[in-house]
Amino acid sequence: MLSIKNLHVSIEDKAILKGLNLEIAAGEVHAVMGPNGSGKSTLSHVLAGREGYEITDGEVLFNGEDLLSLEPEQRARLGIFLGMQYPVELPGVNNMTFMRESLNAVRRGRGEAELDAVAFMKRVREKAKLVELDDRLLKRSVNAGFSGGEKKRNEILQMAMLEPQLAILDETDSGLDIDALRVISGGVNALRSPDRSIILITHYQRLLDYIQPDFVHVLVDGRIVRSGDKQLALELEKKGYGWIEEEAAA
Amino acid sequence: MSTTVEAQRAWFEQAIDQAQGDLPGQDLEWLQQTRAHARRAIGTLPVPNRKSEEWRYTAIEGLLKNSFQTPAGEADAARVLEAGGWLEPDYPAYRVMIVNGRCIADASQTAGLPEGATVGSLRTALATDPELLGTWFGQAAAHTDHLFTALNTALINDGIFLHLEPGVVLDRPVEVVYLSLGQEQAPLTQPRNLVVLENGASATLVERFIGPGDALYFHNGVTELALRDGAVLKHYRVQDESRNAYHLSSLYLTQDRNSLYQGTTLAFGGAWARTDYQAVFKEEGARCELGGLYTVGDRQLTDFHLDVRHNVPDCSSREQFKGILYGKGRGVFDGRILVEKQAQHSDAHLSNDNLLLTENGEIDTKPQLEIYADDVKCSHGTTVGQIDPQQMFYLRSRGIDADAARRMLCLGFAGEVIDAIEVPELREYASQRLVATLNQSIQAAE
Ligand SMILES: Nc1ncnc2c1ncn2[C@@H]1O[C@H](COP(=O)(O)OP(=O)(O)OP(=O)(O)O)[C@@H](O)[C@H]1O
Ligand SMILES: [Mg+2]
Repeated sequence: MLSIKNLHVSIEDKAILKGLNLEIAAGEVHAVMGPNGSGKSTLSHVLAGREGYEITDGEVLFNGEDLLSLEPEQRARLGIFLGMQYPVELPGVNNMTFMRESLNAVRRGRGEAELDAVAFMKRVREKAKLVELDDRLLKRSVNAGFSGGEKKRNEILQMAMLEPQLAILDETDSGLDIDALRVISGGVNALRSPDRSIILITHYQRLLDYIQPDFVHVLVDGRIVRSGDKQLALELEKKGYGWIEEEAAA
Repeated sequence: MSTTVEAQRAWFEQAIDQAQGDLPGQDLEWLQQTRAHARRAIGTLPVPNRKSEEWRYTAIEGLLKNSFQTPAGEADAARVLEAGGWLEPDYPAYRVMIVNGRCIADASQTAGLPEGATVGSLRTALATDPELLGTWFGQAAAHTDHLFTALNTALINDGIFLHLEPGVVLDRPVEVVYLSLGQEQAPLTQPRNLVVLENGASATLVERFIGPGDALYFHNGVTELALRDGAVLKHYRVQDESRNAYHLSSLYLTQDRNSLYQGTTLAFGGAWARTDYQAVFKEEGARCELGGLYTVGDRQLTDFHLDVRHNVPDCSSREQFKGILYGKGRGVFDGRILVEKQAQHSDAHLSNDNLLLTENGEIDTKPQLEIYADDVKCSHGTTVGQIDPQQMFYLRSRGIDADAARRMLCLGFAGEVIDAIEVPELREYASQRLVATLNQSIQAAE
């Protein structure tokens, strides 16, 4: 489904990703871990199409299509979803209106009919229940004044609404209390299916108790320096990143 | 005196001397005196120029290049009714139609007003209710040093008169439509309005200013508003003038004890459009909320001048204005709040936020707090910014295309101002009007 080959990315002439390779097949869950500043969010932004990054080498194919030449909205319509590490506040933009515009734009892109107001409401209520998001937050401005956990629930709600093929969740678990972690994991697990893939960026092995990954990758200084299964995450939890960094440097 | 200044003054004098049609109330001494006083003031008041603070960013040269004439008589009601499309949006209201400065009774609808409510033509009221008018007229506006107000006063002819007896509450809004129709000689239309809400009375007043396509005219309206004890007025103004129009609205508001004024002005149209608000608290406990939204594009200048005077203790005011500028649009915002020494416990907050959609837009914004009392809560803030790329990315990453995303963010930016409008149909209209303007601005940018 997703094939990243030798990806090099710079920001303002500073190299951030330095030859990253990653292959993700349909139905797989990949956890990406790594020290602060190693380039995890950069990777997620580049996949979603954020401006300001210079791709100096490499390619990214999504179902065989050259992803990097597409606008962010086109990628979303192809089924890519980015749950952001820092969800953006949109004062004055009603959450419900926003989600409806978004869902219908994606549906149009997929050649599906738009949902009318009633069908949309039904769907959003149902999904909001899934992520235990207070109905009142739907009536407010997108993320404006939401608590950290509420913002993350709102991200997962959008993911549940859009039913993406590839969900990239950038530290969706950071700053969540235990209950919220369980809820959000439930939301993600509900989405798991043989034709969907998930990239989970996280610092905590704890999340992986809830969402069992098929693969765990360690991103250090712009490269994936080690890949393994769940055991790798447990090892990292115990030993930290030092030993991997040393091995990678050697 | 320079010759330019004299030539400019002559423009005002000519506008008065060439006015056609009879002025009403020739037998009312107070009215004749008011007019004569204003006519004399034209000869002595300072002509607005860019050296004065009030007119620094708003040149009047373009306006004065045109010659405008006060039209004779009433416009043809049939022609007005033909243009009925202007009346959208439709909602239950008492309606007054003013065309080129004159009330058109046949196109107005005020049946069913409760007892104690007068809504209609000022000209009619001069004949039927001269004493009441005499009591209120010119109280706020007569002593101004505003040359354009003097021009209006010297030719007082028609406009709306809205009067509510104590305790009268209107069950639906009063909507006044000011339609300016171009004609061979570009018209000078000068409605003169008087709104008086007696103790405890309450009303919603909607004013819409419209003109077809590219009609050239100068709307120079003056409105005096008096809210007596505990009166409540919700006042929504939508300026949708033609793209060649000159528009000046001068509003003079006085508020008595515990009265509430909520005013929202949406300024979309016109080539040169200015709104001057003077609000004076006369007694304690009153509150004044002024809100505004302006969109300004190529060949447009929109100016708001606020002058809010806390003369007495325990009053509060909120001023919230937002501008969206695109193309080579120019905006001017000047918000002055004066808190006199005796006006303790005043609470005043002013904000002006501007969104520049292109690099060529220009906004001159100047908030001024003049505070002489020591126990007050006052603040002001202005911002000028662009659309936040992070917000754009967020929306686009959710499948929303760039144009739609920009539109949503602009609507979100303007939302607070539009949401203050309590007439749903009008609120909806305002959003749609804003969307239409944004679409135009996007097309223009392509
Ligand atoms: N706009 C920018 N300008 C300059 N440097 C940037 C910019 N954005 C990111 N960087 C740098 O790129 C590097 C990678 O950042 P990134 O956010 O991808 O790290 P991360 O792995 O997600 O870290 P964390 O675990 O802290 O979230 C960091 O050194 C960061 O400072
Ligand atoms: Mg990060």
